[in-house]
Amino acid sequence: MSNVIQTPTLLAAAITTALLAGCAGQATSESTAAPAAEKSMAAAPMAMAGPAPLAPLGEPPIPPDNLQSPAKIELGKILFFDPRLGGDASTGCSTCHEPDQGWAWAEDFSRGYPGTVHWRNSQTIINSAYFPRQFWAGSASSNESQARGAARGGVAGNGEADIMEARLRVIPEYVERFREAFGTQWPIVRDAWRAIASFERTLVQRDTPLDKYLLGDKSALDADQLKGKEIFEGKGGCIQCHNGAITSDQDFHNIGIPPNKRWEEDGLAQITFRFEQYAKGQTQEGYRKAKSDWGFYYRSKNAWDKGKFRTAPLRYLKYTAPYMHNGVFYTLEEVVDFYDRGGFDEDGRTTLFPENKSSLIKPLGLTDDEKGALIAFLESMSGEEMLMDKPAMPEYAPLFTLAELEAAQEAK
Amino acid sequence: MGVRVKTGHTLLAAALGLGMAFGAQAGKYPDITSLPDLKINAAKAELGKRLFFDRRISGDAGIACSDCHKPENGYAHPDALSPGYPGNGHFRNSPSVINAVHKKVWMHDGRLGTNLNDVTREMLTEDYIMNMDMRVMQERAKQDPKYVQMFKDAGYGEPSNGSIRKAIPEYLKTLTSVNAPIDTGKMSASAKRGQKLFEGKAGCIQCHNGPLATDGKAYNTGVPENFDIFLDPMNHHAFIAFAMFQGIEDYMNLKRDPGYYNITMDAADTGRFVTPSLRELKYSAPYMHNGMIKSLYDVVGFYNRGGGKDSRKDSRLKPLKLGKQDIKDLVAFLESMSGDPLTSGQHVWKDPYPAEYPVIENWTQVKN
Ligand code: HEC
Ligand code: HEC
Ligand code: HEC
Ligand code: HEC
Repeated sequence: MSNVIQTPTLLAAAITTALLAGCAGQATSESTAAPAAEKSMAAAPMAMAGPAPLAPLGEPPIPPDNLQSPAKIELGKILFFDPRLGGDASTGCSTCHEPDQGWAWAEDFSRGYPGTVHWRNSQTIINSAYFPRQFWAGSASSNESQARGAARGGVAGNGEADIMEARLRVIPEYVERFREAFGTQWPIVRDAWRAIASFERTLVQRDTPLDKYLLGDKSALDADQLKGKEIFEGKGGCIQCHNGAITSDQDFHNIGIPPNKRWEEDGLAQITFRFEQYAKGQTQEGYRKAKSDWGFYYRSKNAWDKGKFRTAPLRYLKYTAPYMHNGVFYTLEEVVDFYDRGGFDEDGRTTLFPENKSSLIKPLGLTDDEKGALIAFLESMSGEEMLMDKPAMPEYAPLFTLAELEAAQEAK
Repeated sequence: MGVRVKTGHTLLAAALGLGMAFGAQAGKYPDITSLPDLKINAAKAELGKRLFFDRRISGDAGIACSDCHKPENGYAHPDALSPGYPGNGHFRNSPSVINAVHKKVWMHDGRLGTNLNDVTREMLTEDYIMNMDMRVMQERAKQDPKYVQMFKDAGYGEPSNGSIRKAIPEYLKTLTSVNAPIDTGKMSASAKRGQKLFEGKAGCIQCHNGPLATDGKAYNTGVPENFDIFLDPMNHHAFIAFAMFQGIEDYMNLKRDPGYYNITMDAADTGRFVTPSLRELKYSAPYMHNGMIKSLYDVVGFYNRGGGKDSRKDSRLKPLKLGKQDIKDLVAFLESMSGDPLTSGQHVWKDPYPAEYPVIENWTQVKN
């Protein structure tokens, strides 16, 4: 694949992050160049020298308008675990991003707001600080705007900004902590997203066996893993998309993931499926006929983007099963078999948009040994499990005393 | 409908009558007559009934209209302050929705003056009421075969959030006074004496007139604040969100419900609330916008003392010097404006709702 095409995309992504960190952009214009890129990728010979090499993970980028501070990070941590940041005070970030479920949710579809189920797999928070494009289809541009979207979505937090802001203000410990972190008299909900983003920027893992290896510790990977690395970068072709320090080109591809069968079997999931078509701005016709997640199409509205998703980062995978945007694969074995078959599951199912399927996805002819080695290598991108206890939740308390209220009554 | 024609007249009468001594005031104000009949589409109302009692039309499927507007409480709620959507409290009393269809302004502060479709939307979408994303609501209805059939039977076609907001108001039309003595004429002697006081010495008719016993205007009667709005942080945060949304200045320091001030932002209107209907009070205790008065005796006692304490209190309210029997008679009259309870299957949806949404079979083949 040609590096020439790749570069502008990366550059654009970098600029986008710099501009949008901290603001809630839902940019829709990027990657109109994608089809051209895909076409020339197809035309290019399978030269493996092109893509950015795997690299050790550096420090996460910190947006200049939301610098880290201990007060902010601590506040963000409490908020991340606080269910009161959702509509009925039951569903906070950690509800779907459980530290002991890989900071994700261990079912195909994420659990939803009460009375709903989500329609996509819950993604891990670990290393999300590095991604210029967040969500499976890359619709948020920063941790800040992502958090805002997550707390509000009808099947996610379902909370409105004003009620969440009001709640924070009747929790004296928060009033104090927001004052310390942001210098405001009363908590402002936008600052809650900034604090959470700061906390997320601490949830990074930079000491995996792969990082150690890439930093020079040649004993960090065993022979099997080294063989896997070779396949990843060679016969398997994985590096063409999963590259660089974050193991993702942050571009969008249709790799052939079939629709989740749960949509045929679960009434609640069918409700959310149709809701999402509306919420994501489908046309009337699209709403009627959609039978799978159209992915990046919802943003670009280009037919060739149907079924494309952001190249998923591969770090911390060991703890985040099931895999893919709709969680159709429960093990890395299934994932590798899927790629080995050229983008088909064990029943021969593939994307409903085969015309958009990346030409990079083709039968690989891997032996069992090679598959095992590839999986061992994938696992070397995960370090120790990162666990965290839920912090104590600050309590509600009245803002006024009875005496103050009585005095106001007297004065009226 | 009669009231509307008489409204202009009322305005004038009220203006002229301002400083007037209590005397025979009947005739200056629209009488408390029977309510006009309404044309009701039975299939639409039946659909609205099922929706009104269905918790699945709230965000987390945890609360129905009928949880705050309870049939056995005259479609009001027995707590002074209404419950809120789960995780929230509220800051006002949940009013009866019986006869709401005959009103021209809704909510205690009168902030909605269009139609019940809008009131229904407000109830469905308000964070601390039902917190419903109406797109989710619509898709839930489509997943319930019984609704699919009922929407069709009602002539709405496929379930949609628009028709949900039409069907519920159609059902609300069925919630009107039935057999109230004031309408049937079967009033006790005490109630009749009470009516004389109401229209005369006690001066109630100045504000409580027309078929619903309300002129639809806002007054300051000096009802004391309900401190639980502020002492219970769950109520307070709902109140803060409300005040913030209304654009009230200094809302963090507010220690009272500003009432009609929400609408005019004129300090003179602070503490004014819309005159409520006096029908079906027998069931809808406690009273006033914040539920601060527990019984009808206490309400009459309140007026007998000349209302509450407020520098902006309406000048119509003066101590009435009513005797014990007068008070009993006034209460009897108030009770004569309540009819039969609307708690049978005719008004209440009694069938259970399905515990799960059935799957749409053959999903890949059918259109969404
Ligand atoms: C109801 C479950 C739910 C809740 C609550 C929730 N999330 Fe998520 N989260 C998800 C799902 C599902 C996705 C993937 C969504 C998509 O791609 O459309 C996701 C994606 C993310 C991502 C993107 C990661 C990446 O790799 O791009 C981040 C970051 C995140 N969530 C943070 C949060 C924060 C912060 C909160 C609280 C404000 C939160 N989430 C609340 C389920 C949830
Ligand atoms: C054409 C680009 C491309 C190539 C080549 C590619 N991938 Fe992927 N990979 C993706 C995309 C895009 C996704 C997300 C797909 C989705 O969710 O629908 C993904 C997802 C994954 C996931 C799931 C991650 C998660 O968090 O759920 C794994 C594991 C994975 N790829 C491994 C590999 C391996 C191993 C190879 C080589 C055999 C490979 N990929 C080759 C683009 C690619
Ligand atoms: C969580 C409790 C709650 C729920 C649920 C609820 N309401 Fe209400 N309703 C109230 C309160 C409280 C008010 C008065 C609000 C105010 O004055 O600010 C009210 C006011 C009303 C009014 C105006 C009455 C008048 O005379 O001004 C109508 C009509 C009404 N609700 C109908 C409904 C319908 C229909 C539903 C279901 C779609 C519903 N309500 C759900 C609490 C609730
Ligand atoms: C100046 C106009 C005015 C006069 C005169 C007046 N009222 Fe009222 N009435 C109101 C208003 C306004 C409210 C609502 C106050 C609130 O919610 O804080 C009210 C509330 C009530 C309520 C409570 C109803 C409910 O559903 O909560 C009753 C009962 C009542 N009045 C009876 C009377 C009687 C009996 C008289 C005569 C003794 C009377 N009113 C005189 C304006 C008036």
